[in-house]
Amino acid sequence: MSVNPLQDGLRLEPTPGPATLVIFGASGDLTRRKLLPALYRLSRDQRLPARFSIVGVAREEFGDDGFRQEFRDSLREFAGVTHEDEVAHSLCERLHYVGGDFQNPAIYQQLAAQIQAIDSTGGVLFYLAIPPGAYPNVIEQLGTAGLATATGSGWRRIIIEKPFGTDLHTARELNAIVHRHFDEEQVFRIDHYLGKETVQNLMVFRFANGMFEPVWNRRYIDHVQITAAETVGVERRAAYYEGAGALRDMVQNHLMQLLSLVAMEPPIAFTAESVRDRKMDALLSVQPIADEHVVRAQYRAGWVTGSEVPAYRQEPGVAVESTTETFVALRMQLDSWRWAGVPFFLRTGKRLPKRTTEIAIQFRRPPLQIFKRVSRSSVAPNLLIINVQPDEGISVRFEAKLPGTRMQLAPVMMNFRYGTAFGGNVPEAYETLLLDAMLGDPTLFARHDFVESSWALITPIHERWRAEGRPALPEYEAGEWRCRESDALIEREGRRWRTL
Amino acid sequence: MEDAVSSPAHASLLPLGREVPFADIELALGRSGLDDGKRAPGRALTATIVVVGPHARLAEAAESVEQLTDVGVRAILISDGDNPAPTVRVLDHAIAIEELRPDYLNNAVAALRLSSLPTVVWWRGANPAMLDGLADLSDRLVLDAEDPADVWAHVSVLSERTATSDLRWARLTRWRALMAQFFDIPEVREAVGAFTRLSIDGADLHAARLYAGWLSSSLEWTGGVAIELRAVAGPAAIERIEFGNGEQALTLRLGPSGSCIEASARVQGHAGASRVVSLGDQCLTTIIGEELRIRSHDLAFERAVAAAQGVV
Repeated sequence: MSVNPLQDGLRLEPTPGPATLVIFGASGDLTRRKLLPALYRLSRDQRLPARFSIVGVAREEFGDDGFRQEFRDSLREFAGVTHEDEVAHSLCERLHYVGGDFQNPAIYQQLAAQIQAIDSTGGVLFYLAIPPGAYPNVIEQLGTAGLATATGSGWRRIIIEKPFGTDLHTARELNAIVHRHFDEEQVFRIDHYLGKETVQNLMVFRFANGMFEPVWNRRYIDHVQITAAETVGVERRAAYYEGAGALRDMVQNHLMQLLSLVAMEPPIAFTAESVRDRKMDALLSVQPIADEHVVRAQYRAGWVTGSEVPAYRQEPGVAVESTTETFVALRMQLDSWRWAGVPFFLRTGKRLPKRTTEIAIQFRRPPLQIFKRVSRSSVAPNLLIINVQPDEGISVRFEAKLPGTRMQLAPVMMNFRYGTAFGGNVPEAYETLLLDAMLGDPTLFARHDFVESSWALITPIHERWRAEGRPALPEYEAGEWRCRESDALIEREGRRWRTL
Repeated sequence: MEDAVSSPAHASLLPLGREVPFADIELALGRSGLDDGKRAPGRALTATIVVVGPHARLAEAAESVEQLTDVGVRAILISDGDNPAPTVRVLDHAIAIEELRPDYLNNAVAALRLSSLPTVVWWRGANPAMLDGLADLSDRLVLDAEDPADVWAHVSVLSERTATSDLRWARLTRWRALMAQFFDIPEVREAVGAFTRLSIDGADLHAARLYAGWLSSSLEWTGGVAIELRAVAGPAAIERIEFGNGEQALTLRLGPSGSCIEASARVQGHAGASRVVSLGDQCLTTIIGEELRIRSHDLAFERAVAAAQGVV
């Protein structure tokens, strides 16, 4: 008889054992918008353990009742729960709160007592949903209070939100602090992109199908484009964004993760370490990024999703002479047997015409253009497009004969969409990732060496920019794809950005 | 068992569909949306579902089936009857064949199932002898008879040829998961050896028997636990499950709204794990939709059905 014989053959996926989730930053935006709704949905879908509690920690003196009210408000605003149902009510009763200054060691003693009172034997997951500047202190305090060390049959884990450091030096420092108190297997560096179905499906697509992997290399692929476009500006994050910019905010984490998933070699098994080792190999093959292979720009006033929007420098909280980039495009070269000579073009920006993230694999044209004489239109190269958001799915573009007596060719697109192919609800990335952390599965989380290697590629670019002082930054119109410098980056190699 | 012969007064299964000769079904499906000037959106096809049963029970399933065709499923509805040349209607990716003679059931399915994709048979009753041929054509057989006694007796044989399941089993998933989650708590696992009684109240004693069979086979009972199944009037298949020994108990109870289950554990040394979880969407479309996502044999079901035969 196994440890829990009733779990055998259960159709619902495995649920974690008894656990307490401690959220630092319980009054913050991330908690209200993402974490509490995700926990409600997990509870509704019976994915949380039978013995489960949440302890919120924040500066405000909410008390348990105040935190519970925050929870109800969050569900109303971000989960569409207009009146408290039985599931929400039941989960609400398992919410607790510890208020105080994160610098104060006393709140960690309070927290330890609270955890002991709730469940002294289960696991504890700490979630740092706080400004990155507060990470070192909270981690040190957790360690000093003995909260990082498991007792009895329980476990202790920590989820750390991005950004993990601001450059290579600070990332290494933060890793050193983390590792003083937590072993690497206790640490879950979250990148919510990895929780998206399509991103996970990328591995299935590549490694569970025999027909794609043989052409997934320099012999057949011309180049790869990875785009993460946002329509929003800085919103209420100007203070953070001014110091970060697009390169730190998007490229170092999200786009590097996508690149490594496209470029990785097949792992020997679908295990966390095997997958993360191969992703790491891919990242290590990326060559240092030359100055001429990076373009940065900033948006000027324009018109996006039906409204006029101000220039970046006119946004609230942004310096009038800000040189923070809101757009960045890069050309990357991977020095590996598989990818030698295949450029990877990455771009990301704010205030672009539409919100979309995709990976486009453009294949080489056929070696012989046998239809050149009979068809007026030129043959478009095959494209494989992996839509990461918002419409998750995969599309393939190929050439077909137009119906008629003449031989005329036209590209057609074959689409697979998660939303329609299987039915059912696609879980939010935070649901997947919270559950994985409670189950102790780090496959979809960034390992310390990945984070540092990613910063090692990005930091020299920042250092060069810093050395330039305050140059006149190229601009692009809000709501337009066109950025002259970015177009030149790709066009000088005879390629073009996809118009999305 | 329902009357297998439909009355001629039945409304047709896909009233908005186009009537076509059997031989033209594929042609009609290919032109779906074109004849009225619309083009059907391209989509990935994922499976064929074949729904077989008496006309009245198929009419109930037709709405669910139409919704499934929106998510890449080809649906074939076949009501049993005695017609060798039945009426056929086609609507988008759905086909309805009315009152087909049982001898030709396999031929119809063989001709219409999508090749290279899974075929799931949703069995809503009819002559169990027809199941043998269908088992060879299907990758999964989902039983859904009003009185399942006859077909459950065949499950062990059918399971050698195809994966089998039952919609009652699917509806018990949440109830099973809640009981299983109690067993994640160390104090519960320690206490459960002393439990002597399982009682289940509900309107559907077949479901109750299956649940008891599951617990019995999973926990390898050898007679030390008394099982009491009580029929209670009401809309819910299961109202309450209690497993314990008087002093200690694991209790699952349908909430007042009928959409949630209240779970509570009364076990010595355990601080309590009372909570409420959603029963989930129990509508026919959702339940059968979930069945379509499962591809493998369900050994827990096969063991539970076998054990349920011995539960009185």
